Amino acid sequence: MAPMILAGTRKGLFLLPGDDDRRTWTVEEPTLEGWEVFHAVQDPRDGSLYAAANNFVYGATVQRSTDNGKTWTRSEGLGLPEDGELKLEKTWHVEPGRDSEPGRVWLGAAPGVLFRSDDSGESWELVEGVLNHPTRERWNAGAGGMCTHSIQLDPADANRMYIGISAAGVFRSEDGGETWTPANKGTAADFYPDDPFPEVGQCVHKLLLHPGKDGRLWQQNHCGVYRTDDRGENWERLEDNGLPSAFGFPLALHHRKPDTAYVIPEDKVKSPEVGGGDRVTTDGRLRVYRTDDGGKSWDVASNGLPERAWVEVLREGMSSDQRNPAGIYFGTKSGSVFVSPSEGDEWTEAARHLPAILSVEVGEWQ
Amino acid sequence: MAVRVLLPGLLATQAGGRNSIDVDAASVGEALRALPISDLLFDEAGELRGLVNVYVDRQDMSTRNGLETPLSGGEEIQIVAAIAGGRVS
Repeated sequence: MAPMILAGTRKGLFLLPGDDDRRTWTVEEPTLEGWEVFHAVQDPRDGSLYAAANNFVYGATVQRSTDNGKTWTRSEGLGLPEDGELKLEKTWHVEPGRDSEPGRVWLGAAPGVLFRSDDSGESWELVEGVLNHPTRERWNAGAGGMCTHSIQLDPADANRMYIGISAAGVFRSEDGGETWTPANKGTAADFYPDDPFPEVGQCVHKLLLHPGKDGRLWQQNHCGVYRTDDRGENWERLEDNGLPSAFGFPLALHHRKPDTAYVIPEDKVKSPEVGGGDRVTTDGRLRVYRTDDGGKSWDVASNGLPERAWVEVLREGMSSDQRNPAGIYFGTKSGSVFVSPSEGDEWTEAARHLPAILSVEVGEWQ
Repeated sequence: MAVRVLLPGLLATQAGGRNSIDVDAASVGEALRALPISDLLFDEAGELRGLVNVYVDRQDMSTRNGLETPLSGGEEIQIVAAIAGGRVS
């Protein structure tokens, strides 16, 4: 089956079918026009598409398509308790459940909330353990709102999962999402000079679990790049080994090589400086950095990318596929999609002049 | 009382391509809540979203009695998204 890029943008969703070599891509007409697609993903269990779709007038929702984006069904009844102080602000990330959980889908949203569906997104149940977390009063909204943007399901344990909330940090559940434990030890919050290593409040930008190595997760944080090998009990800071900056948003992993990760640094801040100044690629150079040794060292892997480019790649804007060799993908706020079919060794521009890209995922063209 | 509700583009798409829907309602609020896209007009607390403007026979409902504005039948209700262009989010 041919590969397909799902590019969520400020002006709808674009699907890009490609050839088997992943060097030639076609831009289909946009779908979900009128919606800001914060994240779109293909459910590998049945090929359906999910989109976290937002409209500044008509609110936040999830859309699902079973015909590759030709028609969509909107989730209804999505919201927070009527009698509460909080209201649903944005939908941010849709994570299909495990193969053993047909119909289960997770949804991360702002303000710092998580939903679970057991009927493929027709209805949603709010996860109370996140909404009523005892540390919530110490959470703060980042520039994009208090978003639950990362949801990672542990393939080694059907009850274990992780979420990342900006700026609340990483949380782990061992009971299928009922209760949540902060998992931020060792990750900095330099924007709190009085307590730079709090229990919660970290500004995690993207969190990914490596499915091939039990207990290993990576995160790009407002304050550094980190890896854990003990399920988030302890995090090791990694960016002082070749990265030009601690700051950035996107992150991608190699599906077969747990020691390989990709980041795109922004700014030029190093610990203990606080990042987030100009929020554009470091030194005006669009460079992907790759580590093949678990973050001990980082090298530029940008052959084929424009040398001078002041661009932004958002937290959902980078992805990888399951092919061999692994493909790495990212999209920019200036509307370009770049693809490396060779694990970062070389890059081509798959599309340009799209609306601002908010998310990039990879699936199979149906 | 039958009234006609006119839907702008995005709402029409979400309503299956219909740009108007006839409903029986005694008030503007009742008419809007009868629409298949009412969840896009009202938030989870049942409050009309802040950027949704509603006109009854070309008159802003907020100059009458808002959602409680009574309907006698035959009115045309128009939903208009507030003018808010150029925002950088």
